[in-house]
Amino acid sequence: MTRKELITSLQKIVKPYVQDQEAFKSLSEETDFINDLKINSANLIDVILDVEDEFDIEIDNESMEKMLSVKSALDIIETKLADS
Amino acid sequence: MIGNDIIDLSLAKTESNWQRRGFLEKQFTANEQQLILAATNSFILVWRFWSMKEAAYKVFAQQNEIRFFAPKKFDCLLISEKEGLVFYKDQRFYTSSIVTQNYIFTLASFEKSTKVYSKFVMPCVIDLMIKIKLEDVTTFSAIEIEQKKSKNGAPLYYYKGTQLARSCSISHHGNYGVFSLLYY
Repeated sequence: MTRKELITSLQKIVKPYVQDQEAFKSLSEETDFINDLKINSANLIDVILDVEDEFDIEIDNESMEKMLSVKSALDIIETKLADS
Repeated sequence: MIGNDIIDLSLAKTESNWQRRGFLEKQFTANEQQLILAATNSFILVWRFWSMKEAAYKVFAQQNEIRFFAPKKFDCLLISEKEGLVFYKDQRFYTSSIVTQNYIFTLASFEKSTKVYSKFVMPCVIDLMIKIKLEDVTTFSAIEIEQKKSKNGAPLYYYKGTQLARSCSISHHGNYGVFSLLYY
């Protein structure tokens, strides 16, 4: 899966939890889940669970700690996919 | 340093499903999960623990100017209906929670008896209400008080370069907003 395809999948996953639709429209790798998209932190758990289901990977606690931006999420997904 | 968190319970009901597979395991310790499942009202305990973790995280993140997402590492201990402790690494946070049918509010701090001013306000006027409160306390004009954000996003209030409160924490969720101030 290319980085671009990964972003598209991730966009679909985060969409229901986004509270700032303007920020969502201009989503890039630099977008922050909490500061930019205003996803509430409890819903960040849902994003992580959805990512696990979608890509059939396990996000361990150490990786979860860094899951605050699109970029870090993509890096984690790529690493986990390469390992699986 | 102080940190607060508020949860609108009717919104929490629709925004999150705590019974979703993996939801508890990802964010609560084994002990917390046991207590939640054994509780008469599991839903309330889920969100009380969550608000304790969130408030304690805010204290730690402000102090250390870092951001991360590790709710499970913030280990909660309930002392009474109101009081609690949260442990993270070698740090200990004291928490005080108000639980009603409509919301849960938690304030966390390093010291047990910190004198903190907290006020519930409409979410859309939090910033203004803080400035008005600081005007009362300092006599500087609210219009000239400005909010700046620290590196990790914590709010700080200034009058011409002078920081007005030692620590400030803001939280809003659904219909509820709150700010807490620790004065110098």
